[in-house]
Amino acid sequence: MDGYPLGSLDHNVPLLVVSGLSSSHDQPEQPPKAKGKANGEGVLLRSDLPPLEGKEASFLESFFERVNERGKSWTVMTREEPYRVRVKTVGRSFTLPPRRATLPETIEPLTTAPVLHSPFSPLSPSSALYPDGLMNAEWIRKHQEEVPSVFICFHTLTSDLKTATLQDNRLKADLNGIRATLLESGYKTRLVVIILGDQEARATLTAEVIQDRLEYIRRGTGLDPKSIFYIPSQDTQVELKRVMDSILTLLYNTAIEYYRDLGRHARKKRSRGIVPQPTLPPTSGTSQTLSLPDWNFRYEFKSAIFAEFRQEIDAAVRSFEQAYEILLGQDVLDIIPSWSPRWNEARLLADIISIRCLRLHLWMGQTSLAVRRWQAHRDRIGDFVDRRGRGTNNYGWQAWESRWAMVMANLIELVQVPGLGPMTMTIFLPPEKALFGERLQPWELLHHTGYWYRIAARHLGARRALALRIPDDDRGAPDASPASRVASKAIRYDTYMCPPPHEEYPLNGTGVNHAQLIIDCLLNARSQFQARKQHRIAAEISLECAREMATMKSWNEVLAMLRPLWEDKSFRSEWWLDISEDILWVMRRAAAETGRADIVVAIDWELMDKRYTRKQNWHYDLSKSLDGVSSTTKPFITISDDLASSFVAASFAFRSKEGRAGETCLAQLSLKSDAHQVAAPVTLSSIRIEFEGHLKPITIAHDSSAPSTNSLGEPTSVSAVPLTERLPESVKEGDEKEDRDEDKDQVGVDDGPQNQGNEKDAYLTGTCDLTLKPGHRRVLEMDIPLREPGQVSASRVILTYKADAYELDYTLSLSELGKLGAWYVHGLAKPRLSRPDGHILQIQPRPPKMKLALVEPMDQYYANEPIPLRISLLNEEHDAANVKLDVRIVGKTIPRFRVDAGEHKREVDAAEEESQVTGLTLGRVASSSSMEVSIYLDPAPAPTVYDIEIQADYHLESDAATPIFQVLPVHLNVVNAFEANYDLMPRLHPDAWPSLFDYEDVQDLTEGEVIPAKGLAQQWCLVCHYASFATEELDVVGLDLLVTGVTPGGRCQVVNQPEFSADGMPVAPQKMYEARFDLVAQKATLDDRHPVAIDLAFAVRWRRRRQRQQQQPTDGESGTVNVTTMTVGQYMVLGTEPRVLASVLHSSPEQAGLVRLDITIENPSSHFLTFGLVMEPSDAFAFSGPKQTTMHLLPMSRRTKTYRLLPLVRGVFIRPGLVVRDKYFQKVLRVIPTEGMKIDKDGLLVWVPLAPEG
Amino acid sequence: MSAAIPSVACLGVIGRNNNPLHISIFPSYDPLANAFTPIRNPLQFSLLLSSTIDVFDLRSKNSTASGDYGLLHAIDDRLAAYGFETNTGVRMVCIVDMRGRRVEAGGSGAVGPSAAALGAGGGGAAAPSMSASSLGAGSGGPSSLAGSSAAAATARSAVGSVGAGLRDAELKPVFRAMQSAYVRLLQNPFYDPDEHAPLGGKGGKRITSKKFGDAMKRIGEAWTPGVTTL
Repeated sequence: MDGYPLGSLDHNVPLLVVSGLSSSHDQPEQPPKAKGKANGEGVLLRSDLPPLEGKEASFLESFFERVNERGKSWTVMTREEPYRVRVKTVGRSFTLPPRRATLPETIEPLTTAPVLHSPFSPLSPSSALYPDGLMNAEWIRKHQEEVPSVFICFHTLTSDLKTATLQDNRLKADLNGIRATLLESGYKTRLVVIILGDQEARATLTAEVIQDRLEYIRRGTGLDPKSIFYIPSQDTQVELKRVMDSILTLLYNTAIEYYRDLGRHARKKRSRGIVPQPTLPPTSGTSQTLSLPDWNFRYEFKSAIFAEFRQEIDAAVRSFEQAYEILLGQDVLDIIPSWSPRWNEARLLADIISIRCLRLHLWMGQTSLAVRRWQAHRDRIGDFVDRRGRGTNNYGWQAWESRWAMVMANLIELVQVPGLGPMTMTIFLPPEKALFGERLQPWELLHHTGYWYRIAARHLGARRALALRIPDDDRGAPDASPASRVASKAIRYDTYMCPPPHEEYPLNGTGVNHAQLIIDCLLNARSQFQARKQHRIAAEISLECAREMATMKSWNEVLAMLRPLWEDKSFRSEWWLDISEDILWVMRRAAAETGRADIVVAIDWELMDKRYTRKQNWHYDLSKSLDGVSSTTKPFITISDDLASSFVAASFAFRSKEGRAGETCLAQLSLKSDAHQVAAPVTLSSIRIEFEGHLKPITIAHDSSAPSTNSLGEPTSVSAVPLTERLPESVKEGDEKEDRDEDKDQVGVDDGPQNQGNEKDAYLTGTCDLTLKPGHRRVLEMDIPLREPGQVSASRVILTYKADAYELDYTLSLSELGKLGAWYVHGLAKPRLSRPDGHILQIQPRPPKMKLALVEPMDQYYANEPIPLRISLLNEEHDAANVKLDVRIVGKTIPRFRVDAGEHKREVDAAEEESQVTGLTLGRVASSSSMEVSIYLDPAPAPTVYDIEIQADYHLESDAATPIFQVLPVHLNVVNAFEANYDLMPRLHPDAWPSLFDYEDVQDLTEGEVIPAKGLAQQWCLVCHYASFATEELDVVGLDLLVTGVTPGGRCQVVNQPEFSADGMPVAPQKMYEARFDLVAQKATLDDRHPVAIDLAFAVRWRRRRQRQQQQPTDGESGTVNVTTMTVGQYMVLGTEPRVLASVLHSSPEQAGLVRLDITIENPSSHFLTFGLVMEPSDAFAFSGPKQTTMHLLPMSRRTKTYRLLPLVRGVFIRPGLVVRDKYFQKVLRVIPTEGMKIDKDGLLVWVPLAPEG
Repeated sequence: MSAAIPSVACLGVIGRNNNPLHISIFPSYDPLANAFTPIRNPLQFSLLLSSTIDVFDLRSKNSTASGDYGLLHAIDDRLAAYGFETNTGVRMVCIVDMRGRRVEAGGSGAVGPSAAALGAGGGGAAAPSMSASSLGAGSGGPSSLAGSSAAAATARSAVGSVGAGLRDAELKPVFRAMQSAYVRLLQNPFYDPDEHAPLGGKGGKRITSKKFGDAMKRIGEAWTPGVTTL
């Protein structure tokens, strides 16, 4: 947009001139001589009143400055914006341009009075357009910058009442003067007065006084009421700004009115349809004057400009388009000869109109229409230039084409087309609504400026190509060549807005720097593409830039431009080979020129790949890479495959998926050269393979003397490489190393360097012929010794290449997941696909051959018995081993246990959850000998589960480096050997109850140590049914009833329990046995009324049978009697409720089955009770005794009633119908049976034994 | 009078890993030399194709379900790139040269097959949907019903003017044909798609099938605006 005349493209907005704000802007008092000498004097508007001073004036000045700045913007004026104007602040004087041009002084005086025209008109001889120019930017500038629509005078209203009238009169006179000058000049500029009231006026003057004075001034000057404003002094600047805003909004309308008048005037002139005659007929040149279409063009153009002043976009477009049609129609441009300067002027006008139209379209949001207009103008001008001008096949046309694209880009930026900014990430805008359904050219969707800059750059390139074709004859300076040539040049070359050929591409000297122009354009474009994340296109532009820079030989810039592309591998990683190849060659050249050896070598390495097209006459030899590259020192270059791709493809595969520590594993490294066939073979000096995991790096050095396994003919050669292992020297003995390992484990990560040092020391080496011929695959087969268990994967291989000029380390990654590992076999070119992830090896720990076993394990272990475990270790390794033992027991509660291994013993106390013995040294176990270790666990109190893990850690004496371990897990389920259930049955205590009144038994309490019990006593019988839950037969050697707890004040003792022989009684599994215990409970005193709770436990003393049989002769432990104690539970005895006990006594045999039935009623309460006894007769027996009787019981007493029964049946239960009733409560008491009786729901049952035989 | 009509300048297939699978270049009419030459060199076409990946990526966030991206961008006032993405991530790009071919619009009988196709499209007999827009610019819009000669005249004027554009839908047959050619390629048991775009990997081989190349060639040469099947 630079080339267009100043002011020709400005956004036209009303111009206001503000005078009287400060004197600093006062124009120099001299009349504008330079400008208007020939055009006569300008119109000077001046006032003698002093300009305003003070804070408000300076604020207003800056305010207008801001308004003016805003007025210069090219953005669309929205409805929300109240006004947009340009403001010119001047002092008290302002010069308007002269209205009429003067006659040139050289002209002889005319007979008639000349008709004078505007100095900008082609009619005036002094104008640049005289006599046949169409229009120029001067005219637009006049309206935009020199002739204001509104002339604003700032004045103050004095508050000094004495001088008020005088001041007002002076003001009036002043304004009248200005007004008169304006009227006289013929300009229709409106005069506006803004009067500022000062602080005092606000205080001293009333509104009426001010009103009167203003009215007086207004009348005196003949201003209309809308042209005079009074601003009382404002408190804040914000207020003042608000007031000014509203005044400017009003004035804006006035200004619009002004431009409407001007537009109307232009239209009126057009409608007259006459050709005005120039002041003087032209005497020089063609003597041609403007025709009617020319004038019509002028008028249309003017009304379009005035419409733009008014912001009437539609009207402006209409007028511009008409002016454009007239201009390019057959009457105007068609008849201007192309050699005439007017031709270029007309083209310029066409451009200006088009640009203004484009801008209007963009303002209206008609983006597609704008592009269409852009194309139409180009096509039309192209057509014209082809037909009438110098054709489009020259640098001038291309220069204009690129300018035209730049114009669009600049317009989009300046207008700030909504929705196309970088933040929106849009590439192009959809068509506007009006064109929605239409068939559009793709380009008609407005693309962002990056595309436009790119087109401009393209045309610049074409311009250069055409410029370079200018013949030498035309490139000389014009003064050096004959005039005829100059003339022919003028005809042949299109110099519209571009330099003539001798400046474009001079014979000597620099001329136009096309490359720089292109680079500027491309950089503009690139930033736009980058902002929208179009990185590939940005990269493409970078490449273009770099090519341009290469033509300028600024190699450092080339490198800076391409380096990011090279480093992020754009195009290369996605296999756009031709593109990356192009980048690489440009970059190599730049790197070679700047001496960047590393880049040169990396690119050479990359370009060896035959994927790229072969460049003719290129050596393809790495050793010659740095030929011609200046370098002071011998560089050592390190590159990796993530920076530069490689022509050598490497893969690594282990033969098998798993290996074992201590063994070896076959592995293959395959190196395939994909170099061009013409390339020189590459001889690597060494290869280093690195692994992740516990495998030492392998280094293979080149050895040319190594036998070459095959000739060139075969594409694949497999060579076995013997490896020698070099252990780190510092580690000599296995034990030491182990200790160090342990240390390392403890210290953790801290000792990284030391660790690395160790690794560096230990490695595997081999030698092989490492020459890689193009297209050849070299497979190195190695037998790698495996040492430590874990996962190992080949991570990378480093190829070292040494040339005379440099050294290179190239790192290739081997850890490509999911890749099929290939295995090569001698003589076969094709590999066998073995398995995915062939570079990963799982090293299993060395298989232990130490045998751990339990000796004579029991089927079942029981609670309450000590558990001995005997473990035998049998060394089946081929060598003696040093063994350590770990025992670890996991369970709920772990009892104390002891590990006994001959001389070494270890005891561990009881613990919760887990308990262990670690590192119990067992010492050396010779090959194929065995050893026994015992573990003794204390008895478990209850059934439980133990998990015992016995681990033997050992290493062989021959291979101290490899730790081996063997584990024996033992699961112990400890169960109860016995289960039992219980029944507590009442019995009649044989002793008489103590009497309350027995004074003889009263003892002195102070004397005795043990006071015999004096209270009530009861006898009970506990029946235990127990069964063995063992899996085998056990011997029970004794049964005990233990009284574990009695309520204080009570006593309890077992009076009778079953007896066993010393050998015990065999108890079969799952079979019920019964045992009866009699016990007596007694209270200490009679006074105690509380019931007594007794806790009982049942203990079985038992031992294992087999154990006894087998071990008795040898071991004292035999017959270990285990005691299993089971709690019986709590029973309540000696309550205070009365009870009825029935006891039976069978008579001696001779008395023939007579049965005595005693009914004993006990009254332990302290009440007097009465019971009724009823005995019903029965068919089963006869009885003697009261059929019905009453018994009275004193407190703490018992009485017995005896019946004698004679059973009539034998061998069955008889049912005595006996009912005991509490007389007072009318409650039937239950009769409790004792020995030889039982009870069911109907009552008591008495067993009648069979009659004795004989 | 002759008029320029769009033609295919380049057909490209881009793999899942943004790698080029196939590039076919077609010559455009060069009025200066009066001959058919490719408008750009192969390297430039590669760059053009790769630049469309950006647009695919940019638009993929709110992409259409059908995979038809329509106009990706116009490179300049002559070249425009249209795109299509299959549901396996293979992208097909058609670069159209808006002035790639020239038809003699003067005599209606003596034009080539492409001009006839265009005339049919513009005339409204074959594709009524297209006629409305091309006629909308001229005054003879309603008269298209009156007679075929008037329709042909308006079609010519539409072609001659700058407004003879292109709709996204007119490229659909191209993509449909490209896709079916690609499907036929996939049906070939010797074609391993993973070799051409390794999963999660980088790059990939290019398509070497001659049959596929021929199909692309046929599509690129046969297409002209208004063609509905290829």
